[in-house]
Amino acid sequence: MIATIKAEWRKNRFRPAFLVSSGLIAGITVLVYSSNWYLATHPGAAERAISLTQLYPDQFVNNVIGAGFPLGAAMAIVLGAILAGSEYSWGTLKTLFTQGPGRLTTWTGRMVAFTVWMGILTIILFAVGAAYSVLIVSVNNQAIAWPSVVDIAKGFGAIWLILTVNGALGMAIAVLVRQSAAAIGIGVVYLLSIEIIAVRFISSISNGDYKWIGNLFVGQNASALLGHLSNAKGVTISTEQALVVLFAWLVALLIVAAGLQRVRDVA
Amino acid sequence: MQNTTIVETHGLTKRYGSGVLAVDSVNMSVRRGEVYGFLGPNGAGKTTTLRMLVGLIRPTSGTATVVDHAPGDPSGLKRIGSLIESPGFYPYLSGRENLRVVGDLAGVDQRRVNEVLDIVELSSRAHRKFGTYSTGMKQRLGVAAALLKDPELLILDEPTNGLDPQGMAEMRKLIKDIGQGDRTVLLSSHLLGEVEQICDRVGVISNGKLVRQSTVQDLIGEEGVLVRAAPLDRAQQVLVTMFGSDAISRQDGALHLKVKPEKSTEINRQLVSAGVGVSELRPFERSLEEVFFQLTGEKQGS
Repeated sequence: MIATIKAEWRKNRFRPAFLVSSGLIAGITVLVYSSNWYLATHPGAAERAISLTQLYPDQFVNNVIGAGFPLGAAMAIVLGAILAGSEYSWGTLKTLFTQGPGRLTTWTGRMVAFTVWMGILTIILFAVGAAYSVLIVSVNNQAIAWPSVVDIAKGFGAIWLILTVNGALGMAIAVLVRQSAAAIGIGVVYLLSIEIIAVRFISSISNGDYKWIGNLFVGQNASALLGHLSNAKGVTISTEQALVVLFAWLVALLIVAAGLQRVRDVA
Repeated sequence: MQNTTIVETHGLTKRYGSGVLAVDSVNMSVRRGEVYGFLGPNGAGKTTTLRMLVGLIRPTSGTATVVDHAPGDPSGLKRIGSLIESPGFYPYLSGRENLRVVGDLAGVDQRRVNEVLDIVELSSRAHRKFGTYSTGMKQRLGVAAALLKDPELLILDEPTNGLDPQGMAEMRKLIKDIGQGDRTVLLSSHLLGEVEQICDRVGVISNGKLVRQSTVQDLIGEEGVLVRAAPLDRAQQVLVTMFGSDAISRQDGALHLKVKPEKSTEINRQLVSAGVGVSELRPFERSLEEVFFQLTGEKQGS
């Protein structure tokens, strides 16, 4: 197992897709903070007033979790699809599967390396958000106050889980269709459109009798988890349910992908 | 006691979902220490067979034992090096980094990476990204990866594919060198010259069936006698009387006889007695190419 994790880490640490996405997530955080800073200092420009204090370090967790879903989730789907799908297009699967470690071991190693990468992306997101909030508070000559360690840990854990579940979705689709391009298309369209339409439709059947089915989708639970962290109103799914459902999706997606990799021929 | 056979298959069959019978009841045996040529035209089933031997695809029926294990068994794979079809590596990594990834998985000392790069003479270009490699360099890196484990069995599937004549000659030399000593090499190819020059034994596959398995010498050494004489029809009549019509064929104005060259004296005497003028009478050896075309039913020059 250690050997496969080592190999996965070695091949992914300089992977352009990961390096670009690291820069992208940092860039998005900077963009969000910059635009909010501008709107906070130019009150007439915004439909909704943004207070400068909302951008201070004690609020930075609330600010960065906004980048985690759906934008971060979409990025995770793309990365997962690239990671698993490119093994088919490059013909590297046969190289990996003929070295010694079994298929499931190889797959597990890949998944561990991927979760580490999702952790790194979350760290980048939090680090850039924290740094930018320090910049804003410093420019305004205010004292720096941080959220509690527990709040930071909760936010970090929630973002990491959401990125990992969506990444696993991208990986599972890529294994299913044996390529990256289609997996990216299917995954992103699912996240940004199909799931939303499906949940709306299910919720409208029989005056909402089947809404509980809609509450089992990844997006609904990701939104709910982040909603609780930012004290949003009107969140109907509990934190506990959101965590259970997201973990269940993660496990299910990994098992499906692992099963496909194990039984299928490598052509 | 160590088994003398390193690869053995019994009724190995692969039928795809579409109904295509890619490999049909192949019984194949490769002995330890030999260079075994797996010959066949494109699409004959060579790559499918090799993929089954390393566990990449599962047979529909039949069994195989490779280095004392079932195909794909991790313990067996640790003793097998393979290059199946085209080399599969990460284009954004250098040749050396790609080998390190493979080395991590195979559990070999990273110092071995430099050794195999030296063997395939790629050390000076190992820092370049795989995506920038020429076909020959890619093939060499594929062979290097296959050698990383210092394997007992090396499976090379069409290693000279896409190479220019010089690259092919270099690859042939490399395979010959690799095949020295105790290592077994299973080499698939549709290039007859390649197999004839490198291999000890060959298996010929056609339309998914293994149609012949023997030493190269046995295969091409089915000797015969060539006769040029006039009148040729009269000569043919005499020889049919002597050996039967199945032993004689007419090619390019000469008669080819599937008989031992020792019969030459008797043949000459009978023809002369029958008033036939003999202008040429000599033993001939068929080329591997002729045997191959005969066995596979392919047409030469087609």
